[in-house]
Amino acid sequence: MTQNSPEIQERQPLSNARLGVLVLLGAETMLFSGLIGTFLVFRVGNVTWPPPSHIGIELPRAITGINTVLLLLSGYTMFQARRAIQKDNLKQLRNWLLLTGGLGLLFLGVQGSEWVQLIRNGLTLQSGVYGGIFYVLIGCHAVHVLSAVIWLFIVFGMAMAGRFSADRYIGVDTCTIYWIFVVALWPILYVLVYLS
Amino acid sequence: MHKLFWRSWQAKTCYTKVLWAAVLIFVIFIVPMSVEACPACKTLDDPIGKGFNWSILFLMAMPFTVFGLIGGTVYLHYRRANRKPTDEETI
Repeated sequence: MTQNSPEIQERQPLSNARLGVLVLLGAETMLFSGLIGTFLVFRVGNVTWPPPSHIGIELPRAITGINTVLLLLSGYTMFQARRAIQKDNLKQLRNWLLLTGGLGLLFLGVQGSEWVQLIRNGLTLQSGVYGGIFYVLIGCHAVHVLSAVIWLFIVFGMAMAGRFSADRYIGVDTCTIYWIFVVALWPILYVLVYLS
Repeated sequence: MHKLFWRSWQAKTCYTKVLWAAVLIFVIFIVPMSVEACPACKTLDDPIGKGFNWSILFLMAMPFTVFGLIGGTVYLHYRRANRKPTDEETI
């Protein structure tokens, strides 16, 4: 058995894969911190928000609020998927993963339709600081949700192939950590961008 | 260098040490009457200045938060792994 074999890694207190994902999330946190820092400069720096040039444009707070609940629910279903594989229940794992992926896609769909509506109302990336920071911050999160959904469906495919068990579920575990990060980040962005 | 400093510090009388401590406290607390996170923002009442200050304070705190969380997670995993089994678990 080599040093890097999955059996050895599973027995380590913190596997290399988990540590790798944690470091990745550290870098992601710094990326979003930079974007939130930029948002704070514009938000606190402007007495009127949205700026006078965007006064007629309203962000869809209510629909996004419901969307937030959907994303938080997907965090719960992902957690249940992890619990299912810990109990060696592959069928439940597949069901929970599918439900989580569906909720993630629904979140992206609702957000995409909101963006279409906002662009029609005149809020674009070039329409000023308000539009620029909105699309960069929320768009960056949407890209992360999309990559999390792709990762999740890869894990789902591996689950369909029977690659996981109660002793070997590092793929599910790392995907869960990433998903929870993406889910936990959203309420902060929602409060900052939509409610502040 | 630090050994030389330490020896000379030990050689000083109690009175001199108290005097040095007083000077240090004076420099730290009295001299900088007001400190802003952003040296470029001259007045804190200015909204842009406030925005920069909040942003800088937020960004300043984030590396500590990130390293603290990662370090805390690694520490907890290792502590859990090295935990001695209780009597109930050994039975």
